[in-house]
Amino acid sequence: MHADSTLVAPASGKLVFAARGLRKVYHTGEVDVVALDGVEVELHESEFVVLLGPSGSGKSTLLNILGGLDVPSSGNLSYKGWALDGAEENTLTLFRRNCVGFVFQFYNLIPSLTARENVALITGIARDPMPPEEALAMVGLQARMDHFPSQLSGGEQQRVAIARAIAKRPELLLCDEPTGALDVTTGITVLEAIERINRELGTLTVIITHNAVMAEMADRVLYLSDGKIVKERLNPLRLPASGLEW
Amino acid sequence: MLDPLDLKLLRDLGRMKGQVLAVSLVMACGLAMMIMTRSLIFTLDSTRSAYYQKNAMADVFATLKRAPLAVAERIAALPGVAVVEPRVAVDVTLDLPGVAEPATGRILSLPEDGGPQKLNRLFLRSGRMPRPDARREVVLGEAFAIANGLQAGAALVVVINGRRETLEVCGIGLSPEFVFEARAGETLPDHRRFSVIWMNYRPLAVAYNLDGAFNDICLDLTPGAAAEPVIAEVDRLLAPYGASGAYTRKEQASAQRLDDELRVLTSLAVAYPLVFLSVAAFMVNAVLSRIVRLQREQIAQMKALGYGSRQVGVHYLKFVLVIGVLGTLIGGVGGRLLGGVLVNLYTLFFRFPELEFQMDYSALGLALLVSLGASVAGVLTVVWQAVKLPPAEAMRPEPPADFQPSLFERIGLTPLFSPAMRMALRNIERRPWQAVFTACGLALATGLMVLPGAMSDSIDYLLTFQWNRQQRQDVAVFLTEPGSGSGFHDLEHLPGVIRAEPIRSVPARLRFGHRSRKLSVTGIAPGTHLNRLLDERGDVIEMPDEGLLMSKKLAEVIGARVGDMVQVEVMEGRRPVLQVPIRGLVCDFAGVAAYMDIAALRRLMQESDTINGAFIAIDHGRWDEFMRALKDTPRSAAVMVKRDQLSAFRETTAASIGMIRKLYFALATIVAFGVVYNSARIALSERSRELATLRVVGFRLAEVRGVLIGELAILVLAALPAGLLFGRGLAMFIMASFSTETVRMPIVINPATYSLAVTVVLTAAILSFALVSRMLGQLDMVGVLKARD
Repeated sequence: MHADSTLVAPASGKLVFAARGLRKVYHTGEVDVVALDGVEVELHESEFVVLLGPSGSGKSTLLNILGGLDVPSSGNLSYKGWALDGAEENTLTLFRRNCVGFVFQFYNLIPSLTARENVALITGIARDPMPPEEALAMVGLQARMDHFPSQLSGGEQQRVAIARAIAKRPELLLCDEPTGALDVTTGITVLEAIERINRELGTLTVIITHNAVMAEMADRVLYLSDGKIVKERLNPLRLPASGLEW
Repeated sequence: MLDPLDLKLLRDLGRMKGQVLAVSLVMACGLAMMIMTRSLIFTLDSTRSAYYQKNAMADVFATLKRAPLAVAERIAALPGVAVVEPRVAVDVTLDLPGVAEPATGRILSLPEDGGPQKLNRLFLRSGRMPRPDARREVVLGEAFAIANGLQAGAALVVVINGRRETLEVCGIGLSPEFVFEARAGETLPDHRRFSVIWMNYRPLAVAYNLDGAFNDICLDLTPGAAAEPVIAEVDRLLAPYGASGAYTRKEQASAQRLDDELRVLTSLAVAYPLVFLSVAAFMVNAVLSRIVRLQREQIAQMKALGYGSRQVGVHYLKFVLVIGVLGTLIGGVGGRLLGGVLVNLYTLFFRFPELEFQMDYSALGLALLVSLGASVAGVLTVVWQAVKLPPAEAMRPEPPADFQPSLFERIGLTPLFSPAMRMALRNIERRPWQAVFTACGLALATGLMVLPGAMSDSIDYLLTFQWNRQQRQDVAVFLTEPGSGSGFHDLEHLPGVIRAEPIRSVPARLRFGHRSRKLSVTGIAPGTHLNRLLDERGDVIEMPDEGLLMSKKLAEVIGARVGDMVQVEVMEGRRPVLQVPIRGLVCDFAGVAAYMDIAALRRLMQESDTINGAFIAIDHGRWDEFMRALKDTPRSAAVMVKRDQLSAFRETTAASIGMIRKLYFALATIVAFGVVYNSARIALSERSRELATLRVVGFRLAEVRGVLIGELAILVLAALPAGLLFGRGLAMFIMASFSTETVRMPIVINPATYSLAVTVVLTAAILSFALVSRMLGQLDMVGVLKARD
């Protein structure tokens, strides 16, 4: 497979994203940094995709562009046939609000709101949200809903972040190093939550990680290097998160 | 090569230059005011001392009817007396060409022996002194000469003892005795209508039948001599000669006016800067708290690298030192410039040979100390927290801040609040002191904004009260000598007079306990329509049949209350000493006065229908006719035209207060903007992670803005009422410090003033929010979220 040929998943889900020749160049002072250099990729409904690659390979840039946090310098990106490249700020806000759930390495919860209220932030603005209690139950936190972030462990905080991301019933869940700040046991609990969302809600899930072990739970693994997808691997069998070890 | 920590300091400061400037400016406002007022005090005080010293300002003054010059020699021989200068002093009417209203002059004689003056020596601005044998040459007071465009060589028509004389101006001068050049008892200068004039003794003495005699005397005391026993002796010696009581320099009109001015400046030099510096201390605290929180990891790294707690502490204190020094520099330059401009205002009131602004450099040093003291006091706990943080702990990301439901939610009001509002309330409750500090800063800014409006309102009220409601006459005419009822009849029948009311005033010393004041007790008719006595609400106080009405300020000065008996030592005629009860207090804003029923006063004086003058209302169509007739009335000495007094007030007091008001307004605006901008910047930086999270999960920019502004809006709204109350208190304090025996300010604050203060603070808030919102739009969402706390 060529790095520049379009990667098509064998999964049967409908096409969600189609990227053609995506480039992203950052102008920092006198130097132009090419973060993405002609990425071609298609992502489908219900797919579980892991992006692997060294630091500076362009993983986060790709994730940010997919999630509507950034726009490409050139190339085309469509979401369900709807062009995202060159979209207005308001369009991108609506896209994030209704379609995308984000999970970051640092949980980014609002410390002054309880677990339930952090989730309710989204349910208050999304188009078709699930009740905050249901989202929290999906990540196993039904008993800790009225706790403030300071009263929760790291893993619990990250699960609240996941509940917040999925409460809007997103079609796309983007996770940037979701276990980066957690120990193994807690990390696996968090991955189980993500896995469950993917399975039960059919959400297209993309995870960025340095941790190659995590690739085992994906349908498809994409390897990035120097802003390009250099390799793709299909897993004939997905390992459950509980079976991972690192 | 700079120390790496200092390089870090400079770059950190560079990144937050907006805030550094905001805090420094607020500090500079306070310091500029302090430096300016202290320098003005220094300027006035040192100029006055030098002038008094160099031109031999007298220590004791006395006026009398007529005493032979030999009496002066007996006074000179009294123990404690160093120098005496007897003279002739008379009030005359001046007839200025082209001016309908008569002006008033006070002619003072030069020494009888033709030698140089020993006391109250003239400073000649131009021209020369009268030749020893000259009969018509005079030196004219500078303020009057300038106001009327007169120079040496000009002719001056004067009614001397009923005879019109044309005098020749040979010089323009000024005297330490008339730094405040106004008629005795007048609180405002009217340079167009009043002049001091100096002429040779003989022609003046002869004209008033005082040759070989004097009716006014000045004394210099020997160093260390007490004034009281000398005054008692002088009074004893002069009593047979119709003296109205000697008094010290402290009670001398011009000196007293200067003292009052210095007293006002002294209280301003403390109160006003104190407020600014308190605001600045709050702001510095907020700024540094934020830096220390944001640089938690850097502090840990510094310590891990081997920097000691002291070095770290000093590093963070340097932030404050830079702000303090910057504030002092801007304040110093600002104070110097403002002082240079404001000193010119004093030339409206005070005449010195030279009034040059002198910078009080000790004030600059004090400013530096005060500003650094205030800022360091504001941040000591913050720096201490930074220093005591163990490095290992600081390296770990800060745990999420501890929160709990706010008080409103605990009492069951949760459903009332949106998530954004809940965030705001819980934030405020979690760090109540920070919220209180911010709200205090905003309240102080609001309060400062009330002050300039309050000044304006008070002046408007004063103008209406004094010139519309209290004084309804057009002119007050005073006679050279007390006259009989026929004198009143003459005045009453001048052309154009609509109504005239007699005045009988007698010089007296009012004594209550150990305190006393020398003034005139004025007898007026009950039911008077023109010069009415009013209480604080502006209602007319009926003149009681017996007893005194007096200025509230006078009662305060002598420590008496309504119902107390005061001793009235009359210094005219048969000089009775009487015990008179105080029947009521009068609200007035200039000078102090005591009033009696005119009939009662005449009974006490055992006289029939004596008058000293009259309040007169004139048919304005016959104004010039009236004035022409008045100029020809030989016995009228002083004419006070209300219209002129009003314009003099507008040109002097109102103008200078107006200028100060503008200055205060500008400073208060700077503070309001500074405080809100600083708070908004801090909120933005402290909550950038929350705000970025909201943006990422799909909140619109406007919605996120709402979250950022919510907390500040609550603080602004909470601070406004407190600020208005504080403003009222501050205005009352400042007005009270303006309240002297010569001039007072009523405390009046109109709703419009409060509205303006609220509007300015809200505008400052909205503009600051707009600025910060723009920064919010530029927030690097991903960068913030991927960074550790």
